[in-house]
Amino acid sequence: MDKDGILRASAARNPLRCSMQHSLARRRFLQGVGAGIAAASLPGMVAAQARPLSLLTWDAYADPNLLDLWRTQTGVNVRYEIHISDPTSVNRLRAGETNVWDFINVNNPWARDVMWPAGLIVDLPRDRFDPLYGEMDEKFHLPYKWAMSADGEHLLGIVQRYETFDFVVNPDVISPELAKDEGWDLFNNPDFAGRYGILAYEDWNVMDMCMGAGVHPFRTKTDDEVAKYEETCNNWIQNAALITTDFVQLNLAILNGEIDLYFTGGTYSTAAARLEGVTELYAITPNSGPADGKGGINWIELNSPVANPDLHPNIFDWLEYITTPDAAELVARGNGNLQPVSQMANPDVMSRFSADELAAIQWDEFDERIANAVEFDIVPDYDRLYDIYSAAMRARG
Amino acid sequence: MTHSPGPKFALPVAVFLLACFAMPIVIVAWYSLMPPRTFDLGIDLTLANYHTAVTEGYARPLMWSLLGALITTLGTALIAWPSAVILHRHAGRGATVVSVLIALPIFISESVRLFGMNVFLMPRAGILAGSLDWAFGFKIGSILNTWMAALVGMIYIHLPFMLFPLLLGVSLIPQDRIEAARDLGANRWQTFREVELPLAAPGLLIGALLTFVLSLGANAEAAILGGRAVTVITAAIEQRFNYAQDWPMGAALTMVVIIVTAVIVLPVLARLDLNRLTQ
Repeated sequence: MDKDGILRASAARNPLRCSMQHSLARRRFLQGVGAGIAAASLPGMVAAQARPLSLLTWDAYADPNLLDLWRTQTGVNVRYEIHISDPTSVNRLRAGETNVWDFINVNNPWARDVMWPAGLIVDLPRDRFDPLYGEMDEKFHLPYKWAMSADGEHLLGIVQRYETFDFVVNPDVISPELAKDEGWDLFNNPDFAGRYGILAYEDWNVMDMCMGAGVHPFRTKTDDEVAKYEETCNNWIQNAALITTDFVQLNLAILNGEIDLYFTGGTYSTAAARLEGVTELYAITPNSGPADGKGGINWIELNSPVANPDLHPNIFDWLEYITTPDAAELVARGNGNLQPVSQMANPDVMSRFSADELAAIQWDEFDERIANAVEFDIVPDYDRLYDIYSAAMRARG
Repeated sequence: MTHSPGPKFALPVAVFLLACFAMPIVIVAWYSLMPPRTFDLGIDLTLANYHTAVTEGYARPLMWSLLGALITTLGTALIAWPSAVILHRHAGRGATVVSVLIALPIFISESVRLFGMNVFLMPRAGILAGSLDWAFGFKIGSILNTWMAALVGMIYIHLPFMLFPLLLGVSLIPQDRIEAARDLGANRWQTFREVELPLAAPGLLIGALLTFVLSLGANAEAAILGGRAVTVITAAIEQRFNYAQDWPMGAALTMVVIIVTAVIVLPVLARLDLNRLTQ
């Protein structure tokens, strides 16, 4: 029960449960709308100087320590809204909220393939930001595909948090080595029917089900491949013991012996609990799979300035600030979680993490996991695949 | 000739209601007639989304929501009636304390209460199963992650919405009418059916309407306790607006729910005599 208590406590840190907490999301949304209306009602110059830096962001960048340090250093106020999913936030900018926000951080493909072509973000001054990429992990050295526009001319954001996000097993029941070798076929195995859960990050679930069907998630599918996907999708959803948007609930279910594994999951969903001593959670990236021989999916977060006609004058200072060792450390620990950041290539940043923390994020095999993963991309045929997924959900009960 | 000032005084409220209540529904209705997966409001109207709502299995989530709302309304009424009678007639000063205790959870986030219920119902080391095992060596399974668990959660969450209107309804029953019925030879069932139920009907109807409408829109219980064993209509709507990025389809499903709710609720409202409660 002690471990249960730890996990319950960490529930408060789970921002993605917010998809069900409408009142909180609504309150934040209304705060945003209110601030937007207030800013719009002021004369332009005064509004630009008085309004806070506005972040549409994942939870780590809303960490109170990160924001306090920024305020102390610059005196600039910040307000934020934690978003629910990449496509939702991108569409909010599309719907006109570029007037509201200065900063957005979404996963890698959205900046290059959607937001930049649609004019929703602006580029970074290269003389100021190119050198920062030199201090990151070699994987990100420029020209790094996801940080650049398709013509290679424009720098679209700053890379920071990244990891693989695949599935989680109880190593007392399934050995990690076996899980890595078996990969997504574990969920096709009838022995595990009713013994796994699904973390309903639904766009990720679609990609995982492609992997389970032996189909490259980021290539256009043939009708045969869609048929395989549909069969896998129906089986996986029907055979799931529970489906939830809350990874703490799934972690508890593993601890309690209700399930032995779940997808989608990774360091993001396990690190905080592992750091507290929970050993029954182990993030797995398959050794192989149908995506150019790879079975894992690697997301990379890109922090970009929004094409706000009244862009906050300190936005580039903020983007540089988050890469400083002090801020990067706080982002990595954002809201009580632990996530690898690109600045861990810097010995100064790396030295700030204890052996226990590195064990919690399974740092010893991090490079191997990244090597076994294909980089997150936009799924062609997503609408068709998602409709199959949601139909399978409706048919579940 | 004098003009009534009423319409002028009512104008601000009317404008407010039009802007804040009618307009959003008009916009949702308009979106529901747009081509699937579009984000702009235009004049190319289509019924494609309503056709999809009928042909693509959305009747099932609607059925789960309606059934869940019906069972929740009946379940809360069955629990709330005797509770209201006891609180009104027998609890004396304790009634206030008990009422406050029942009302207090309303001030706590619904998600928090449901997570508490989740830990309570959890198998093996859960509070209920673990305590029974520890105290009596009695091992039980769990209803967690089933539709039954979602129903238990819905009854638990919505009970106060039935209980308090019903308390008001029960307070409308004069004790002398019950005594008169008994003196005339009515048994308990006859007294309940012929005297108590009709007199308390306004409170019961208000409680039933509140509970039914709130339960129809409930989503968290099926998600947190039900493990999505079933998909309720609000979850299906959320999927269309969020991950599917199909606002027109989400809007069409929303309109279907609004229409179904109106068809069920409006006839009941028409029969409700609120003056009875204020006399």
